[in-house]
Amino acid sequence: MYRMRLPPWLVLLMPAFVILLAVVTIPLVLSLYSSFTAFQLTRPETITRWIGTFNYEKAIGDANFWSAFGRTVLLLTVALNLEMLLGLGLALMVAKVTRGQRLLRTMMMFPMMFSPILVGFQFKFIFNDNVGLLNNALQSLGLTDVAIPWLVDGNLAFIAIVTAEVWTSTSVFAILILAGLFAIPQDPVEAARVDGCTPWQTFRYVTLPFLMPFIYIAMAIRSLDVARAYDIVQVMTAGGPARRTELLWTLIGRTGYVDARMGYANAMGYVAILLSIVFTVHFFRKLTTARTSLGMGD
Amino acid sequence: MKTFTASSALALLAGLGLASAALADGEFAGITIDAKLIGGQQYEALYARIAEWEAKTGAKVNIVSQKNHFELDKEFKADIASGSITWCVGSNHSSFASQYPALYTDLTPLLPAETVAGFVGANIAAATLDGKLVMLPRAQFDVSALYYQKSLYADPAKAEAFKAEYGYDLAVPETWDQVRDQAVFFSDPPNFYGTQYAGKEEGITGRFYELVVANGGVMFNDDFSPGFNSDAGKQSLQWFVDLYKAGAVPPGTTNYLWDDLGNGFASGTIALNLDWPGWSGFFNDPAASKATGNVGVAPAPKGSAGVRTGWSGFHGFSVTEACANKEAAASLVDFLTNEDSQKLESAAGPLPTRTAVWDYVIAQAASDPYKAEVLAAFQETAKTAFPVPKTPYWIEASNLIYPELQAAILGDKTVDEALQSASDAVDGLMRENGVY
Repeated sequence: MYRMRLPPWLVLLMPAFVILLAVVTIPLVLSLYSSFTAFQLTRPETITRWIGTFNYEKAIGDANFWSAFGRTVLLLTVALNLEMLLGLGLALMVAKVTRGQRLLRTMMMFPMMFSPILVGFQFKFIFNDNVGLLNNALQSLGLTDVAIPWLVDGNLAFIAIVTAEVWTSTSVFAILILAGLFAIPQDPVEAARVDGCTPWQTFRYVTLPFLMPFIYIAMAIRSLDVARAYDIVQVMTAGGPARRTELLWTLIGRTGYVDARMGYANAMGYVAILLSIVFTVHFFRKLTTARTSLGMGD
Repeated sequence: MKTFTASSALALLAGLGLASAALADGEFAGITIDAKLIGGQQYEALYARIAEWEAKTGAKVNIVSQKNHFELDKEFKADIASGSITWCVGSNHSSFASQYPALYTDLTPLLPAETVAGFVGANIAAATLDGKLVMLPRAQFDVSALYYQKSLYADPAKAEAFKAEYGYDLAVPETWDQVRDQAVFFSDPPNFYGTQYAGKEEGITGRFYELVVANGGVMFNDDFSPGFNSDAGKQSLQWFVDLYKAGAVPPGTTNYLWDDLGNGFASGTIALNLDWPGWSGFFNDPAASKATGNVGVAPAPKGSAGVRTGWSGFHGFSVTEACANKEAAASLVDFLTNEDSQKLESAAGPLPTRTAVWDYVIAQAASDPYKAEVLAAFQETAKTAFPVPKTPYWIEASNLIYPELQAAILGDKTVDEALQSASDAVDGLMRENGVY
């Protein structure tokens, strides 16, 4: 009787394979398949109705989809860069603190702890044009005598959403960069100071290159996280009014779960995945370049 | 905890001094009913009575899911998609019921005729889809009436100025044209606005829908092709546009949904507000509202066709087609919507759906003038209330219509362009789904 002996590495990795298969691969394959069908959640028999590339053609030819796509790219770019700059600033300041640094580090993490839905509601209230905090403050201070429609005007609503998103997630950047700051060898920094560099020159030519790998890791992680900022936008504007703040996630979420048109939503999702891949590849390339230049790569 | 709720439910029943519908003791002994019910503070008080039904019939109720309405809707859709309907009783809502045509069973053969006759006729009609009674309404009926600030109509200076400008007496509006005139008259942005309206999602589509009906039009024709690109439709959308252009509504109104509207009126900055009955307590609560003591309620105004707006919905309970114990499930649904259950629920404020309970609730409120006024206004509006169009594509159509309504209001498109785009999109949707 022949008994197949599986190599030990396969046996040990089997649980991981099974889990990945069940949780990642099979749903991915199923959603890819359903994007070629007319699948609707409320009529499950439609999963067998093959329509080929109809959904993809519809998505690619839909002006609303591309405008949401473009707006999402813009949001990602603006939010990520703002978060990085503010996070960097915060980390640099916290690193300088001598007394109570631990307390400050903990407090810095508070915004991260709030559920995005709650953040969405809070900022929706703050930016409400009639009873909201911001307009009432501006009017009381005499800075304006009109009700500024923060969540209605296309540009202002974008700013409002970016504010909410940056408020929630800057601390992630700050924590990651702070970790990087602590890992920097102090000798080059001291040497630069002794040689007469200004603080800005020290930062620009010594500290920053060391921090770049951490910054790129943070950017790569956050670019995927920001891509899930569905809750905040859905609560604050739901992609409106008149599609002015429509992002990929509000569009796909509404199509898939509210309209129950899962096949079409999956097709849009796969087109949007290209976006995630592009961002990740970009940051990963930058990361490896930075690491090699520091001599950390292989 | 269970004995506490059971004994408190029984105590309440004793206090009401009425016998519940005849339930044979131990009729459904050994049966377990799985239920997916709506959660949320105002809906859960009723569930305390479940223990009483369990005690009477010997059955057990297992609440497998208790979520807010939208999450529950998604869960139902996911269950339908995966074919896993393992539960018997589900919370339903008249606006959502047409989306699940095959999910729920007809309750008529499972219930005595007198039971069904005890409900308000308009509600039963709204709960009947394709001849099937898919749900029994609970005492969570919603229709909108006009809340207003009383002080505005007691000011002689305002009355004179209004008469001079508009040519008729200033009184609580009875038509939507009067609402528009008065809203423009009262407005003083950014400190005070004449009115406000729901600006997005099903909120604005519903408000548009009821105004179209009030102006003598239809949202969908009999074959469910779009019917709102008509004179009535244009007149209705123009109403929203005119108010926005005139600055008679807050500029952020296109992003408002129910909580924003409620907070807006409670902040005392809105003169007229079409809103739901659940807000009546909040608007007159000194701890929460700046309009306390100054709130009046009138029945919903009429459109140009002499019809009151009356977009309404109600929550209820349904029994799944896949249920193995339909008799027991129907008995539970009947119990949760009988007279005593509705009296319990409506004591906290929500409106009933049984005729006898309406009379009871109004009699109870005789000593509270505000509450009596609220109930009278809503009862009057409830008489001509109507549900959303009975198509499973209501929500999907709404998602195509509301961005166009918003575009017209904000001035991105003209009224004609917006309604044409919306109509084309809905037409495409119906064709794609094989409706015609």
